[in-house]
Amino acid sequence: MKVVEINDVFKTYHDTEVEVKAVNGVTLSFERGDFAVIVGPSGSGKTTLLNLIGGLDQPTAGEIIVAGHRLSELKPSELIDFRMEHVGFVFQSYNLIPVLTASENVGFIMSLQKWPKEKRIARTDEMLQSVGLADRHKSRPAQLSGGQQQRVAVARALAPRPEFILADEPTANLDTKSAETLLDIMEKLNREEEMTFIFSTHDARVVKRARRVITLEDGKVVSDERTNHNS
Amino acid sequence: MKNYQLAWRNLWRNKRRTLITAASVFFAVFFALVMRSFQLGTYEKMYRDVIESYSGYLQLQHSDYLDESNLDNGFVLEQPLTDIIESDPNVTGVIPKLESFALAASGSRTQGVMVIGMDPDNEQKTLNIKNRLIKYRLTPDATEALKEEKLPARTAKLVDVFSGEAWTDEKSLISDLGISDDDSAAVMPLFRKHASLDSRYLTSADSGSAVIGYGLSRYLSADVGDTLVVMGQGYHGVSAAGLFVIKGIVSMPNPEIDNAFVYITLADAQYLYAASGMVTSAIISISDTDDKELLQTQQRLAASCNSGLVIRNWKEMNALLLNQMEADNKSGAIMIGILYLVIAFGVFGTVLMMMAERRREFGMLVSIGMQKRKLAGIVGMEMLFIGLLGVVAGVAASLPVVYYGYARPLRFTGEMAKMYEEYGFEPVMPMLLPDTYYLWQAVIVLLILLIAITFSVRRIFKLNIINALRA
Repeated sequence: MKVVEINDVFKTYHDTEVEVKAVNGVTLSFERGDFAVIVGPSGSGKTTLLNLIGGLDQPTAGEIIVAGHRLSELKPSELIDFRMEHVGFVFQSYNLIPVLTASENVGFIMSLQKWPKEKRIARTDEMLQSVGLADRHKSRPAQLSGGQQQRVAVARALAPRPEFILADEPTANLDTKSAETLLDIMEKLNREEEMTFIFSTHDARVVKRARRVITLEDGKVVSDERTNHNS
Repeated sequence: MKNYQLAWRNLWRNKRRTLITAASVFFAVFFALVMRSFQLGTYEKMYRDVIESYSGYLQLQHSDYLDESNLDNGFVLEQPLTDIIESDPNVTGVIPKLESFALAASGSRTQGVMVIGMDPDNEQKTLNIKNRLIKYRLTPDATEALKEEKLPARTAKLVDVFSGEAWTDEKSLISDLGISDDDSAAVMPLFRKHASLDSRYLTSADSGSAVIGYGLSRYLSADVGDTLVVMGQGYHGVSAAGLFVIKGIVSMPNPEIDNAFVYITLADAQYLYAASGMVTSAIISISDTDDKELLQTQQRLAASCNSGLVIRNWKEMNALLLNQMEADNKSGAIMIGILYLVIAFGVFGTVLMMMAERRREFGMLVSIGMQKRKLAGIVGMEMLFIGLLGVVAGVAASLPVVYYGYARPLRFTGEMAKMYEEYGFEPVMPMLLPDTYYLWQAVIVLLILLIAITFSVRRIFKLNIINALRA
């Protein structure tokens, strides 16, 4: 079942003098349960493509359909609701809410979605358990290591059961051990919850685990390979 | 988590900045309230003093009397007109008054004075001149005599500071001279011996007696029991001359009045000025002195006046004082305006810093699904909390100061006092108890916050998520 469809999408930036085609006619689709990485050199358009899929940015041309929604037809406030309902974001620099505890951060999107309190607490506990941070549920982000913060961010993204997770360089700021632990967790959640993960990364550790590797160069897809790696 | 809980926690993520901003609001509110309380308290005192000791709230006058205040613009107050005025539901009495100028002399000194003739028994219903009778005063002789006595150190020092001052009651003397309850029993007999004054008030039967202002008594070196020679021009140019024994000395709040105040009975004044049966005005005492009711009473009474006579309210009679106060009020408002302008920049600086520091966080919140209006609401609440912290603390801190300043008005001495008196004001600054001006300070701070909130809300609604996430 297709979760994301990208049809001949372009994204052009107009700098002062030069026109930059960050995404140049990309056509792709992602299936439920994909564990895909988008790789490519700096400036190849990885992050831009992720932003377009997540509805953070609008394409100059082409069409993106996510969970049956044509993103170009949604108004800005509808796009925000769309992201809340269907997309989970994991950012390179964790981006937790500093004044909330780990469990409040994990439950944050669910509270935006107005989940009943009991269900929200149960799901928060379950997610913190999954990422191995049940004992740190009262800690604030500043009291957690980088790896722990990113695990909380993954739990936050996954907790409301979105259609897919967009992770932009999730391991870039982590040491090897923390990165491996995080990838183990994401693989486990991908397997257990059949959650779709789409990464953009430079990190070979992530690429090594991916079951699909999409390579971008100058905004174009130059390869899209299914690997034999089986988590 | 509720929005207000998130806003409250956000407030304390940068404690120092929050406290500095709240403190700037606190100081602005505190100083504005204290300044305003002093200003309004002083105005109210001046108005009240003029009304209660001189003009009353309403007066019946000849229409030309306001521009040319002389005996030729006097009139005969007919009993039927008095009856009509007294029948008004808001009127409690009519006090005929004959007022003119003269020269007063005692010993070798002469001074231009304002001779006021009223019926003392009737006058006491409206004016409070009787309460201004001096009971104690620190003449140079009294000061020296007291210094010879064994006084507590603080009181001895204050006797020097307050030399020349007078008191109408024992309580304020004890308070001003720092006489403690323990010392009172030993010290007060000394004051009664050296500084008390047997000052008495007029009665309607007191022909040939006068009550004079303390300022005038000091200038003329005239005391109770001395004779005052009064000479002037009577009705239609008749010469006026009379001798009056000083029966009492009063401390009038307005120094200009205090330095020229000679109060005799109405009958004596009519005889002195050869203006039999005449008055220059009639003070109309009223029960409800509220501005609206005052004007309505004035309108009702004006309809029943004979031709040539008018009813004037205290504001019309004291236009100069009102203008002076209005000009002072404007300068005070400018000062407070500058104070709030500084605060507005402080608050605005905080908003700018906060918006810049949290740009990425805002981008993240909107990208994970928080609507911009909700985010704007939380940020608005944060600003509101900071403002409320400052306002509540400022109001709370100002209350004891204002109540103390009301109960114990600031009294200037020395050069400052002289400067006040030269401008015709009593050197006293009382404070006004909390009133609508408190509400206005809160409204002003809320307006400043509203501008800051509008700015932050605008920035949030214009937030570009991609750029914000890169911040």
